[in-house]
Amino acid sequence: MSDNVIEIRTPFHEFEAGFNVIIELITPGTRVLDLGCGTGTLLSRLRDEKDVEGCGVELDQEKVIRCIERGIRVMTLDLDQGLEGFPDLSYEYVVLSRTLQQLMNPEALVKEMLRVGSKSIITFPNFGNWKVMFEYVWSGKTPVSGTHPHPWYNTPDIHRLTINDFRSFVKQIGARIEKEIFILHNQPRTQMFWPNRRAEWGCCLISAY
Amino acid sequence: MQASSDLNNQNISSYGSPTRTFYESFEQVDLESGVRLGPLTVAYETYGQLSPGKDNVVLILHALSGDAHAAGMTENGRVGWWDGMIGPGKGVDTNKYFVICSNCLGGCKGTTGPPSPNPLTGKPYGRSFPRITIRDMVNVQAMLIERLGISKLHSVVGGSMGGMQALDWATRFPGKVKSAVVIAATARLSPQGIAFNWVGRNAIYSDPISACGTPEVDSDSVRMGRGLAVARMIGHITYLSEEIMERKFGRKLTLKDMDGIRYSLGENEIGSGEFEVESYLEHQGAKFMERFDEDSYIIITKAIDYFDLESQYGDLTRAFSTVESKMLVLSFTSDWLYPTSMSLAIVRALQTLKKNVSFVELDMPFGHDSFLIPAAMPKLTRIMRGFLNGV
Repeated sequence: MSDNVIEIRTPFHEFEAGFNVIIELITPGTRVLDLGCGTGTLLSRLRDEKDVEGCGVELDQEKVIRCIERGIRVMTLDLDQGLEGFPDLSYEYVVLSRTLQQLMNPEALVKEMLRVGSKSIITFPNFGNWKVMFEYVWSGKTPVSGTHPHPWYNTPDIHRLTINDFRSFVKQIGARIEKEIFILHNQPRTQMFWPNRRAEWGCCLISAY
Repeated sequence: MQASSDLNNQNISSYGSPTRTFYESFEQVDLESGVRLGPLTVAYETYGQLSPGKDNVVLILHALSGDAHAAGMTENGRVGWWDGMIGPGKGVDTNKYFVICSNCLGGCKGTTGPPSPNPLTGKPYGRSFPRITIRDMVNVQAMLIERLGISKLHSVVGGSMGGMQALDWATRFPGKVKSAVVIAATARLSPQGIAFNWVGRNAIYSDPISACGTPEVDSDSVRMGRGLAVARMIGHITYLSEEIMERKFGRKLTLKDMDGIRYSLGENEIGSGEFEVESYLEHQGAKFMERFDEDSYIIITKAIDYFDLESQYGDLTRAFSTVESKMLVLSFTSDWLYPTSMSLAIVRALQTLKKNVSFVELDMPFGHDSFLIPAAMPKLTRIMRGFLNGV
């Protein structure tokens, strides 16, 4: 199973900006559920920097073992199976970092996140970025870029969504965006001119009405 | 046998030097059935050093056919059943932890069980041994721990039946267990598990020699009954997986000149098997006959069959409501006897109660017995070390 797993390729140091943004959003001393937690980097930072009581969900066995080794609470679960067993509103925050675009059914999982957590934090690569879009239109081929580094025929990123897509999706499922942060060149900004065309990553704090 | 409750005076065995089995005697134990069983002896081994604060104790809980000899080597050269996991620098590090493993109640390796003499008759209990439960086994372990002057365990760790005991520990002794590791276990045995145990016991019951229930059969003059061996063979099939049988044995034959025509129909005794898988099972069965007691097998499998926290408490969330320990639940993808779904049932109930539970499903081909297989040790070691460290 794990032989041909596609590694999440944005190395940690490149996405540190993304983690910093998430950590910034989280109130100290809260309970955080990190979906697709990888080797537990975010959760161990949250534990050390924000005194957070964390729990991760990860399917890849090697990463799960790393979490246990780091003393991170973790569950081997497939996010496409939902969050059965997690009680309603049992976490202050549910985090879905760089994983939304890889889910079979993002709508089902985001609804589950809103059920389990008071607030959800979702980061995703913005397919609307003008360079990506330009590449798409100019070459007429599915672009391969820093945010979408795999060719279409072998990629975990099965959905290509834009910031505007995400905004209307949140409205569609009856939730609301409390905060938006846009990441460009590893710099997070709360205000950005034309974010849908310029941001490389979107990060949204959402909650149910 | 020697009762010795002062651990400081014991020559504590450690990996490298021959291990020693200790014995503690108790006047009696009150069983769940209401029967009072006594006197009672508990066999156990220890590895590592007890810390001055007595706060580094890891209690290891063995499975159906295990015993107190979990690690190290006996004087006769027998290696412990989880030696790959327990020892200096290993997953359960004896440089750090004081490890205790006792033979379970009803066993046949030093703790009172069917082969032990019934004080009323002077003869072995045999099948007149009282009915026992997983709870009774845990109560006896708790008596031992108390006798050793230990009030809190750093962790209880068990696989299969040992995992059931670990669950019971966490459920009924929340203040005494800081953490529990539940490996390839279930909160209630499945009908499939009950079915296999039933067939195993039936092999023993239908054995013309053991059927009479007299343990004094002269084994020199009478061929020993093979019921227990057959039970073990059935058990072994359920502990493996289709994949590992294919990898380990394939369709290989034990004899080169064997073909599909001149096979044996058991004319010459049962033989040692023509296919390698047959010969493996035969070997496992024969070995088991030498080291296990059939009445222990019956009494312990019955205890496993009746283990059902769900019906005992109404439902699992009620059962686990008392849990305070940090929990780690482990399952194996290829385990079809205690499949992942059963571990998940435990995990979900603990989650519902917002308990501190981690769940690891390991992708391993070795079936239910994965936790005992040397090839599984590197990963299991990292997990155990990491988890015990974080308790």
